[in-house]
Amino acid sequence: MSVYLYDGSFEGLLSAIFQIFARKSLPVNIVDTNRHQPGFLDELHHVVTDETKAERVLRALEQNSDGRAAELVYKIFLSELPQIEMAIFRFIKTVMDHRQSSILGNYANPHIAEALRIEKMIGREIHRMHAFVRFQKSAEGIFYAAVNPDFNVLPLIGDHFAKRYADQPWVILDTVRHYALYYDQQTTSLIGTDHPILQQLKPESIDSEWRDDKEDLYQQLWVSYFHAVNIQERKNTKLHLRHMPRRYWRYLIEKKPFRRQNMTIYLLRSSSLRLMTVNQSNTMPEIALNRATR
Amino acid sequence: MSKIIAKLQVLSDAAKYDASCASSGSKRSNQNKGLGNAEGMGICHSYTEDGRCVSLLKILFTNHCIFDCAYCVSRRSNDVRRAAFTVEEVVDLTINFYRRNYIEGLFLSSGIFKNADYTMERLVRVARTLRQAHNFNGYIHLKAIPGASPELLHEAGLFADRLSVNIEIPSEQSLQKVAPEKNYPDIIKPMNYLAEEKEQYQEKKPAARKGPFFLPAGQSTQLIVGASPENDLQILHLADTLYKKQKLRRVYYSGYIPIATDNRVPQIKAPPLVRENRVYQADWLMRFYGFAVEEIVTPQNPDLDLEVDPKLSYALRNPEQFPVDINRDDYERILRVPGIGVKSAQKIVSSRQHQRLRFDHLQAIGVVVKRARYFIQCPGVPPASGEQQPKNIRTLILAQDAAKNPPQMSLFG
Repeated sequence: MSVYLYDGSFEGLLSAIFQIFARKSLPVNIVDTNRHQPGFLDELHHVVTDETKAERVLRALEQNSDGRAAELVYKIFLSELPQIEMAIFRFIKTVMDHRQSSILGNYANPHIAEALRIEKMIGREIHRMHAFVRFQKSAEGIFYAAVNPDFNVLPLIGDHFAKRYADQPWVILDTVRHYALYYDQQTTSLIGTDHPILQQLKPESIDSEWRDDKEDLYQQLWVSYFHAVNIQERKNTKLHLRHMPRRYWRYLIEKKPFRRQNMTIYLLRSSSLRLMTVNQSNTMPEIALNRATR
Repeated sequence: MSKIIAKLQVLSDAAKYDASCASSGSKRSNQNKGLGNAEGMGICHSYTEDGRCVSLLKILFTNHCIFDCAYCVSRRSNDVRRAAFTVEEVVDLTINFYRRNYIEGLFLSSGIFKNADYTMERLVRVARTLRQAHNFNGYIHLKAIPGASPELLHEAGLFADRLSVNIEIPSEQSLQKVAPEKNYPDIIKPMNYLAEEKEQYQEKKPAARKGPFFLPAGQSTQLIVGASPENDLQILHLADTLYKKQKLRRVYYSGYIPIATDNRVPQIKAPPLVRENRVYQADWLMRFYGFAVEEIVTPQNPDLDLEVDPKLSYALRNPEQFPVDINRDDYERILRVPGIGVKSAQKIVSSRQHQRLRFDHLQAIGVVVKRARYFIQCPGVPPASGEQQPKNIRTLILAQDAAKNPPQMSLFG
């Protein structure tokens, strides 16, 4: 019973797969050393991570798939799903056995279908991050967002945000995996939570000291807009929840439960708004309005 | 400061009845380290509690209006709060919402104040300021105001990704009744002008062009369903013409919401959401499924079936077209099977090059087999129970749907 232990890195997994191919043996399992629970009859192979070998696997995949399979393998690796290593192995073996790129279009092959199914899940999560990231501007002018994605997709979303926000520095922190994506208006890099840029930013704090002067105003405008464009007569909670599952609400300015409180503080602080009544319900504060400003 | 919040509430509330939400189809990419990028697929950044997507900052420049259209909440005889933005306010909101990743861009419409040109000029000024002063490459959708001068419309086309003129009422006769100041020629004229301009622009050599783009995401319009007596046959034929002649990219349909207490429009309790959904499904069949409008609605069946979707309805009316052979028939025929969408059809065609497909493969591919099974042929299809007459199939499928859930409704993207 061959169990291949690797260091948990993508390169490590590819090194393991390289070894398996070289030995022409079939593994029973490929396991991250840190998660390995020893079994009785296991024949353990400790894989040494070797970037050259990892690269050779990727290159072979590219050549046999018109450049599609390598990226796909990296994506589904980031799903962190249990047993993803074996799914990746089976997928790679299928591609290498067929040696023609059209095999990626065969949904009737269980190994291909499995990989494509996971890729689709990752794609959805990437799309949700593109949609649900909410930046808050700090006093220093850095745009800061916190996210809690289901899968480890931060390495897959940097290009999108760098293209879109080329002229502003921004940070996206994964609060589940404790690292961040940082763009300094030149390059995008992955940083740890000990990085100085992350020290001053408190995403969930009501305290607005660290934020730009106008940040609370724009947040309030956004929440206000979000409620104003809803059409009561068409209320459809099921559809709403299907598109915006509750687990993402935590960092969505417009859905954050403590926004009410936050906004109250803001409204009270702002002297020009003293006449406003802040009601407790989920609707927007009623604002006395001058008719016809023009 | 409170003023801007109040304005935003009034002017977004008044804009929300425009169903258009698309922010894709443009080719505008980020230039010179500017702000924004509209080259990819549009993104829905949020969803309101009615389940509709929030992709653009959708607002009116003003809800002051010299017109009195019965279906419109901003009609001059309606007693509502009025407000107007300045150009700077709209620009500032757009930029700051965009920087925070709230939106894909701006959708700016307006009531008609003073006259068409005066209104259009303001809209163009917003777009020009965003593009030129802020190097903004996000998505911009402007209303083309009927009656505005060609020069202004042309300029709008250079800055906006999409322009739209809403027809709203799906026949000239009904329009006359509810919107006496409007007429079809005025609405169609700017559409035709912009379609021609876009065509000419594309024929020019890049060096001869005045800007990098002219309406890269084309034009769209909106039709209100249920505010006037037109049947689905009339509505879909109008849409078909608009797609073919005016080269529109999208026709939006909006189930009439009884916003206006005006006796020129019907008093209804709830918007006709099921009918709206069916019209959208029919529109999808014309644009992505290769159906001709005559195959969807006929003089014998001028209205879409509210109980079953138009694709299933077509299959039940044309039993001689089925079953479709999953392993042999061409893509176009597979696409006609109820329960098989564009993606599933593509997957079927790419997979069957490698092996013969069985019924259980279809399930893995994502086909709604409970629906498709009555209309296909491949190894492993469950044997027919009872007589498979269209009437029986209809009853069977309706029973399945009822058992599963109350009918689902989705607005598409």
